[in-house]
Amino acid sequence: MRSSPRDPLDDLDELRRLLIRPEQDELRELHDRLDDKEQRAHEIAAVLPEAVTLSRDRSEELTRALQPAVEGSVRESIDKRPQVLIDALHPIIGSVVRRSIAENLRALLQTLNQSLEQSFSWQGLKWRFEALRTGRSFAEVVMLRSLVYRVEQIFLIHRETSLSLLHVSADAAAAQDSDMVAGMLSAIQDFAHDSFKTGKDERLEEFRVGELQVWIAPGAHAYLAAVIRGNPPRELRTCLEEAIESVHILRGSALAKFDGDAAEFESLRPELEPCLRAQYQPKKTATNHNRAWLMIAIGAGMIVAALLVGARSERRWQDFVRRLNSAPGIAVTQAQKGWIFRSRVAGLRDPAVADPAALARAAGVNPDRLRFEWKDYLALDNASVLRRFEKRFGKPAGADLRLTNGTLVISGAAPYEWLTRVERDGAQSPGITSISEHNLSVTYNPALVLTRFRRAFPPPPGVTAKVENGTLLLSGTAPYEWLAPVREGAPKLPGIGKISEEHLKVAYDAKLVLQRFSDRFNLPDTVNASVQDGVLILSGEAPHGWLTRARRGAPTIPGINSIDERKLTDLDQRAFQQSTSVIESAFVYFLFNKDNFATEGFAALSRLPDEIRRCQTAANRLGLEIQIEVRGYADAVGSEAKNADLSRRRAEAVRDFLVKCGFEPSLLKPMGMGAPPPVKTPTPEQSDRRVALKVVPKS
Amino acid sequence: MIQKKVCMLGTSGVGKTSLVAQFVHSMFSDKYLTTVGVKIDKKSVQVNGTEVTLVIWDLAGDDDFQRLQTSYLRGTSGYLLVADGTRRVTLDQVVELQKRVAETLGATPFVLALNKADLAPQWEVDEARISALADNFTVIKTSAKEGAGVEEAFAHLARRMTPPA
Repeated sequence: MRSSPRDPLDDLDELRRLLIRPEQDELRELHDRLDDKEQRAHEIAAVLPEAVTLSRDRSEELTRALQPAVEGSVRESIDKRPQVLIDALHPIIGSVVRRSIAENLRALLQTLNQSLEQSFSWQGLKWRFEALRTGRSFAEVVMLRSLVYRVEQIFLIHRETSLSLLHVSADAAAAQDSDMVAGMLSAIQDFAHDSFKTGKDERLEEFRVGELQVWIAPGAHAYLAAVIRGNPPRELRTCLEEAIESVHILRGSALAKFDGDAAEFESLRPELEPCLRAQYQPKKTATNHNRAWLMIAIGAGMIVAALLVGARSERRWQDFVRRLNSAPGIAVTQAQKGWIFRSRVAGLRDPAVADPAALARAAGVNPDRLRFEWKDYLALDNASVLRRFEKRFGKPAGADLRLTNGTLVISGAAPYEWLTRVERDGAQSPGITSISEHNLSVTYNPALVLTRFRRAFPPPPGVTAKVENGTLLLSGTAPYEWLAPVREGAPKLPGIGKISEEHLKVAYDAKLVLQRFSDRFNLPDTVNASVQDGVLILSGEAPHGWLTRARRGAPTIPGINSIDERKLTDLDQRAFQQSTSVIESAFVYFLFNKDNFATEGFAALSRLPDEIRRCQTAANRLGLEIQIEVRGYADAVGSEAKNADLSRRRAEAVRDFLVKCGFEPSLLKPMGMGAPPPVKTPTPEQSDRRVALKVVPKS
Repeated sequence: MIQKKVCMLGTSGVGKTSLVAQFVHSMFSDKYLTTVGVKIDKKSVQVNGTEVTLVIWDLAGDDDFQRLQTSYLRGTSGYLLVADGTRRVTLDQVVELQKRVAETLGATPFVLALNKADLAPQWEVDEARISALADNFTVIKTSAKEGAGVEEAFAHLARRMTPPA
């Protein structure tokens, strides 16, 4: 085979050179290009924009891969040269802030809407009731009822070791022991896989426990387990798959080499958190906005109303304090309006005069919302003094009270009882020194008048008393003894002007009537008296003077209407008659044709003075003025003229005798009678020579 | 914070569950053992000043009634074999089990806990046997009842699993 002694190796080299020289040159050139960093940079720079565009269109990998570098650059830039970023951001920072605020306000309104919806709607009430019934919190019920789905937790679990690498949770408080949960999740997957002999790459993808379900997004070295409440959409799986993919892109090698230190995967949190999605029932936002505006309007209305009420309350309060201060008997030292707690008023108050609670009511302030702190004092202004007086004594409707320099002037009409009390105690009321009345008419209450009357004069049975228009009307039958003091005393009682006895019959006790009579007229021992049916019956003998008095006076004694004195003898009358009879039957005889006393005449003559005196006394007692006619007579012998003379002289002789005996000449009227007329039966002559006396009323 | 997965292995009744019951943070019921075949607990130990969280997979016993689910062993950083000192057969079984596990997992740190140390007089495993095992096994006597050796067993395992700093 070999045609020359040439070294076969050389031939081979020659052959290689001939065959692959161009390729070798190309290779060298390529090698040089690769070694030359500068050149390579130029080349990459040429294609980089295109490559970035392509990569971005294809997937998010480049973005994710660049993210840490970009973040690092920005952070370093902020640390070292903040001014550059500040300058760069300055033109847009205003609009960014505005937008942020607008967004936040929108979110706030949304939250407000949601709260209102939940708080005030029928549904909200239902949920509250459900919360009460099931013992769940209201927030939980709201979430469950308005939730379509919510990703509550996501575990990033290392496939090989089943250890938890990262755990993110929607609710920070609900963090569970992720290590053990991760382990058990893995065990369950293994259990399912082993138990049902599924294919090598067929793993448990999801399982459901009540309202919860667990979705598993597998990856080469780690998988995601998402705990979801409700019914998630399929897009969520895409999100989870993208997340696990991203995790592998970012930390793939670290996952492969994982040796128990999970801290290095903390940076993956932003990859997982976007999957903590939630979706709630769609809301009727339009109406909700309306509702929010309505609630805001109502709120504003309530604020305006509260302000108005507050202003009104303040005005009332000021009015009240003003009234308090101007009210007699009150001096306010401090007044604080309490909007939440009770208002407080402190000061001086005369308790007898002022009623602050009534003033509060009058001013439209609720007294229950007030706290008074009074110190008592005695107010001495006229109004307070009057008010205190009125509080103590009252004020009659028709009465008018005025206070002048401590003197209380009462005018108008006032009841007697009130007036009595005021006159007695009025001046004891502080500030009143005296009481006077001016044009005051006293009024009487008939019932009280009657009561006073009954108290003063308890009416006996059978008597009815009434008071009408100031008149005491008595009716029935009343004993005189009761009636007498009534007649005397009742008109002195206040309210009784007169007494009417029109319908009253007076009953007299005969014994008492007699007693009254005896007491008054000093009944002589010689007189017997009795009373019967109003007639005073007298018997026996009585001196004329007494009798006269008795006759005149007895009918004035109550119970005596008339006197029966038929059986009573007038002692003086009798004495007078007896004396008169004696005097007129005593003849003084004279001697024939002479004016000398005959012997027979002496007897009569001697008796005459005493008898005349007795007669005079009796006549005096009887109230009579008497004259004694001394009648002289002569016998028929002789002439008539002579006899007239003789008879006159004889009468004068007797008169003279009697004058001598001490009688007044005026008492004696001597009369010459001449001869007496003839008589049928002849009498001795001598009987004509006489003087006879006759007692006559003085002419 | 370092996390490590460890498995508890041993035949039924040797006291695996009791061994960890008092020393771990637990949130799952024991009934998982009979249903899913595993119950997961957690225990923190200090290794060279670093806190290591042991996520303990307490696997159901491997016996006629329930086979060990080897998939549960995947990714374990170490395992604790448990045998009952009063029953020699459990030690034999656990030694066999260890061989099978080693086939699945390859070289993985483990510790053998000889449980029920509190019942020493009734022990069927003598010191000679223990010494014989010592070549291939780290043997620690434990008492789930009295707590003796339990912490030590976990700490020892944790040290074995954690590469020196």
